[in-house]
Amino acid sequence: MPGTTPPPQPPRPPAEGRGADPAAPATFEDLLSDCVHCGFCLPTCPTYVLWGEEMDSPRGRIHLMGQSRQDGVLTGTAVRHFDNCLGCLACVSACPSGVRYDALIETARADVEREHERPLGERLLRAAVFALFPYRGRLRLLRGPLRGYQASGLSRLLRRSGLLDRLPPSLAAMERLAPPLRPAPRLPERVRARGRRRATVGMLTGCVQGAFFPQVNTATARVLASDGCEVVIPRRQGCCGALSAHAGRAEEAARFARSTVAAFERAGVDVVVVNSAGCGSTMKHYADVLANAAGGDGWARRAERLGAKVRDVTEFLADLGPAAERHPLPIRAAYHDACHLSHGQGVREQPRDLLRAVPELELVDVANPDICCGSAGIYNLLRPEPAAELGRRKSADVRATGAPLLVAGNPGCALQIAAAMGADGEAPAVAHTVQVLDASIRGLPPAHLLGGRRGG
Amino acid sequence: MGETTRAQGAVPPRGGAAEAAGRALAGAAPDGGAAVRPGTPADAVGGVRPAYVAAPADPAAAAAVLAVAAEHALTVVPRGNGTKIDWGGPPRDCDLVLETTSLTGIEHAVGDLVVRAGAGVPVADLQAALGSAGQRLAVDTVVPGSTVGGMVATGLSGPRRILHGPVRDLVIGMTVLRADGVAARSGGAVVKNVAGYDLGKLHTGAYGTLGVIVSVTFRLHPVPPALRLLRAAAPGPEALREWAAAVLHSPTAPSAVELDWPPEGDPELAVLLEGAAAGLDARGAAVAAVLPEPPHHADALPPGWGELPGAPGDTLLRVVAPPPEAVRAAAVLRDAGRARGILAAVRGSLGTGVLHAAVPADAPPEAVAAVVAAARAALAGAPGGAVTVPHAAPPVRAAGLDLWGEVPGAALMRAIKDRFDPGHRLSPGRLMEGI
Amino acid sequence: MPVPVGPEALVPRLRAICGDAGVLTDPAQRRTYESDGLTYHAELPGVVVLPTSTAQVAAVVRLCAEEGVPFVPRGAGTGLSAGALPRSDGVLVVTSRMRRILEVDVEARCAVVQPGVANLDVTRAAAPHGYYYAPDPSSQQVCSVGGNIAENSGGAHCLKYGFTVNHVLGLEIVTPAGDVVRLGGKVAEAPGYDLIGAFIGSEGTLGIATEITVRLLRAPERVRTLLAAFPTMDAGGRAVSAVIAAGVLPAAIEMMDALAIEAAEAAVACHYPKGAGAVLIVELDGPAADVDAQFAAVTALCREAGATELRTATDAAERARIWKGRKSAFAAVGRISPSYIVQDGVVPRTALPEVLRRIADLSAESGIRVANVFHAGDGNLHPLVLFDDAEPGAAERAAEVSGAILDLCVEHGGSITGEHGVGVDKACHMPDMFSPADLATMDLFRRAIDPAGIANPEKLLPTPRLCGEPPGVRTDVHPLVASGEAELF
Ligand SMILES: Cc1cc2nc3c(=O)[nH]c(=O)nc-3n(C[C@H](O)[C@H](O)[C@H](O)COP(=O)(O)OP(=O)(O)OC[C@H]3O[C@@H](n4cnc5c(N)ncnc54)[C@H](O)[C@@H]3O)c2cc1C
Ligand code: SF4
Ligand code: SF4
Repeated sequence: MPGTTPPPQPPRPPAEGRGADPAAPATFEDLLSDCVHCGFCLPTCPTYVLWGEEMDSPRGRIHLMGQSRQDGVLTGTAVRHFDNCLGCLACVSACPSGVRYDALIETARADVEREHERPLGERLLRAAVFALFPYRGRLRLLRGPLRGYQASGLSRLLRRSGLLDRLPPSLAAMERLAPPLRPAPRLPERVRARGRRRATVGMLTGCVQGAFFPQVNTATARVLASDGCEVVIPRRQGCCGALSAHAGRAEEAARFARSTVAAFERAGVDVVVVNSAGCGSTMKHYADVLANAAGGDGWARRAERLGAKVRDVTEFLADLGPAAERHPLPIRAAYHDACHLSHGQGVREQPRDLLRAVPELELVDVANPDICCGSAGIYNLLRPEPAAELGRRKSADVRATGAPLLVAGNPGCALQIAAAMGADGEAPAVAHTVQVLDASIRGLPPAHLLGGRRGG
Repeated sequence: MGETTRAQGAVPPRGGAAEAAGRALAGAAPDGGAAVRPGTPADAVGGVRPAYVAAPADPAAAAAVLAVAAEHALTVVPRGNGTKIDWGGPPRDCDLVLETTSLTGIEHAVGDLVVRAGAGVPVADLQAALGSAGQRLAVDTVVPGSTVGGMVATGLSGPRRILHGPVRDLVIGMTVLRADGVAARSGGAVVKNVAGYDLGKLHTGAYGTLGVIVSVTFRLHPVPPALRLLRAAAPGPEALREWAAAVLHSPTAPSAVELDWPPEGDPELAVLLEGAAAGLDARGAAVAAVLPEPPHHADALPPGWGELPGAPGDTLLRVVAPPPEAVRAAAVLRDAGRARGILAAVRGSLGTGVLHAAVPADAPPEAVAAVVAAARAALAGAPGGAVTVPHAAPPVRAAGLDLWGEVPGAALMRAIKDRFDPGHRLSPGRLMEGI
Repeated sequence: MPVPVGPEALVPRLRAICGDAGVLTDPAQRRTYESDGLTYHAELPGVVVLPTSTAQVAAVVRLCAEEGVPFVPRGAGTGLSAGALPRSDGVLVVTSRMRRILEVDVEARCAVVQPGVANLDVTRAAAPHGYYYAPDPSSQQVCSVGGNIAENSGGAHCLKYGFTVNHVLGLEIVTPAGDVVRLGGKVAEAPGYDLIGAFIGSEGTLGIATEITVRLLRAPERVRTLLAAFPTMDAGGRAVSAVIAAGVLPAAIEMMDALAIEAAEAAVACHYPKGAGAVLIVELDGPAADVDAQFAAVTALCREAGATELRTATDAAERARIWKGRKSAFAAVGRISPSYIVQDGVVPRTALPEVLRRIADLSAESGIRVANVFHAGDGNLHPLVLFDDAEPGAAERAAEVSGAILDLCVEHGGSITGEHGVGVDKACHMPDMFSPADLATMDLFRRAIDPAGIANPEKLLPTPRLCGEPPGVRTDVHPLVASGEAELF
């Protein structure tokens, strides 16, 4: 392993000076009391931006958590406002006091799952989502012109839950916007480095990514290999558990986490490269995921070790430095910060640096970069109206850049925005950062990324 | 004494009562702390001759005088050097003129850039004292001879207010005697202070209708090492407006952007730059660059800089307009005058949009009223636009010209007046209807 | 006078005014509004309304006036004096849904905004035109312009440019009677009493600002920012005095002590010089030549005063990095202490060294750590009194130290608050600074505008209920305090 990667920079060091033993793990109460109620997190919270209400702000939600603890009751009101949270972690970036809202909301959501009886309709919808999304195989059935689901054993649950009524718009958008689904070549278990081998890395293929955006995985593997990495892609990997963890489904998340840890331990790699922001963000904190679940023990250390090896693909590539030549790619591209990359992992400059290093590519920033686009994992399925409104706002900011290509470190975001833009005008093409790098390395023309659009 | 009407509550001192009031005033402050004499025609305030003039030696004596005045329900008009004593509306009544000229004293905290000055201190003396320490009160001499109290009570600010604000922005603390003679302080001696209501703001520009200012604390600024004044005559108001906008939009940080429009001839733009000597050439060049012709340069201010236009005794109009509209309002005003044979001189700050226009004292009152009406109409839709008449020549005043026009918030102002001076005894009528 | 009714009795009518979504009655929701940034004062608001227009605000206030129900305005709730502390018998009127920038008028150099607009958003809107809004409280990304109006907020750059009051041209207010009054406009210096000036800093006790016209300033040609590290606070203080004495008026001079540096470092990794006893941030702005000349002078003066390290920001990013540590300092103290009190007092600049020494003594005597972050240019201290509320008695000792610091300020001819306001928190300290007559006169003004006393009652001026005695007559320790039955903060 070449000495290219510094130790991970956790964006949120624990607050010190807490009681007698700073080394002792912080309790939920400790984490709550870190909030000094300054409100600095309000303006970047998407739900506060939408509604301007205290209880739909991070400060308000933390207050509601405090109320629940203090009174020992979890009110339906509190649950509603927790549910409204997109988990975008903008508040974590904004907070000068280092409040770990991410940890707080996951615990609060786990409490909700344990203690709160949801109405039937909501229960069904959630069950359906979690029966579907973490499983690549089931997801894949949804692709293609939506035929597969008929045959799926899941269809009864799906139909009763109403999930399908919510899916078509986003799926239709995917069909329209995502590059046509070529039968993606199945990635081999090992991709050889081109030229001198500079590193050996593991690669997460992910559930949603694998099912809907196999081309992103292919591009990732190609770029890594071109820049001198031997890429190990363990066959037996599944969902990383991020979706479940964010939703407070602690046990389910722990299950996924444990099998992912095991898969990459077996691969024997020093670095695990992840190309999906949400997954990377969770995997870096696997120790928390397993601490939240019962019977962690031995797993905690293993999780921590693996978490420390996780890098977003752009973070890793920027550290590694290029080996393959970047060919000119005359495109004007807008870069969108995926929340789980910028807020979740503090990765903001690396992707921009990588893109700027592509000759003739003009990189433009999008206004209000801190505000979530509304995609937020499965949020757009659970809370479609606010998600759509946030998408509209983001789309206006993207449109203002005039760029024909929208680049993001999370395909879900790009799709969400492009779908919103398509709803009231022409949508830009969307691509993952590595796809742009891939096109540049392979010397492909802009049209490869743009489809029929002009380069701008 | 002229025709007067009394505010509710006050009982006029007549005959024996008047004498009693006079005796009480004379004894108000022990040891001759307040010289009291009968009023003379020269003491008239807006044509109203006071019964008495008292000159208290210090704030305590002034408080005692006011307490006696309260007891005897006397109407009181404070006066400094009297340079603007005939400004504002004529008082409905004036039993006593309270002269502040003995309320002197300058406490200059040099290292803190703060000064406290008695109301009777001439502004020129104050500036001289500050200047010796390399500091200044960032106001210009608008009316020569003014005292600190008079300057503050009329809220007069000069050209340099675009950088440091009008007078009210420089006042950080104030001690005022209420109508009942009780001293009340607001603000403080430090520049930054948000404790309590900033009552000094109410008294600035209040024409002594809410209380008698006895001392004021100001924030100061260092005297800049050098200055440069650039002047250029514009072919007409529209060009001048554009020039001013261009200068204001440039990053040259002017201390003043002034209009000087003599009764006849073209308007002139004056731009004052202050700061490091080394930077003046570059800044001057940047200003010149936005003007079509090279301006005239000077390294000192001309005599009369910042003073009001016209001659003493002229009727004075004050035009407050959003800066882009100020020149246009001035043009309308002048045109309306010219159509009636009146030539008005206009001067003032284009940076802030506050101009003064002088109409000769002998102009016919109807014509003046027409000019005022035209200017008001020109600013009707402009947010914050207002045309007032700080000084009306006697015939104009006698003709009953509405000096204030529509004043936003007048009802609130009346409510404040009613609380501070329930007997309406302080400078009644000098500021707007019912105040 | 109507017989006061409970706020819940107003709910149907409030709903008719603000719509169902604009009226909060759910206790859990209301409770999230129980305090502003000063959390040790908390009260459950009777009702919370979220109006979206001036007309709604006016109708709500008129209803309150008719029924004799108190109302409390609230912006972003970042206030640090419990000015927005709700009342259980009142209506909390929150402006967070009134956040439209109505106009940026470049030619008149002003912007017209709704009260809930965040301070920084005004500058963001003006920036493309080359302008900015000068008052810059550290909370600028979140605090509302309406809240700034109410508190007359200042910021680091107020040394040169003044406070909120110096930058407001026009106001639309809803009076405590529910009337809409427009004052000023796109030009200051309206005739008559300066009601705008008096309204600013009135902490919501004179009504609610519903539209604000602020002055925009042209972005300076050059901005230079210097970070100077000193071995001691004294040395830093000497540099400040020297700069001022040299006739230089920087845009800002900010100072932080070692403890504050530590907190900022922990929070935002601002990489201030290691081991410094004090850092000074000096920012100069204006025409390029002036700034360069002054910059050279300031650098030399800092060296002379014993600066151990000088850093100059050469671009906007570096400048932002230097400021980041300073601007996050308050909230960052949470990183080094479980609890803390932010104090806000002012002393004449020349008294700074003396007062800082006395604060250090107080800290040493009480064993309570005090971090200092302050606007050195205008003597505005922000001691952060650190304590651990888990430790018995610590909170009390911290409160004592905090109170003693205020006494020091008054003793040196300063003020009990430079920018955070009086609110509930310092109402009982007002008599330390003002005589009974001063306070009674302020009350005359308040009652002139709010005769019924329903606008944010019991804020700003001391009241018997709050302070245990009639305003102003406190000459020595209150009997209740002496007997240990009550405490003054
Ligand atoms: C970390 C931190 C740093 C800070 N730094 C500074 C600083 O550098 N400088 C500074 O001056 N302050 C600072 N503050 C204090 C605070 O941010 C300011 O006082 C700010 O102006 C409050 O605005 P707000 O919108 O949060 O008002 P709120 O807290 O909601 O209310 C404050 C007061 O304003 C009244 N009010 C609110 N809106 C209106 C309205 N529309 N009309 C009438 N009254 C209204 C309320 O009744 C209350 O009395 C800081 C606070 C924090 C938490
Ligand atoms: S995670 Fe995002 S949506 Fe949730 S409270 Fe934080 S900023 Fe708001
Ligand atoms: S920024 Fe942090 S400390 Fe401040 S209110 Fe938000 S979570 Fe709490």
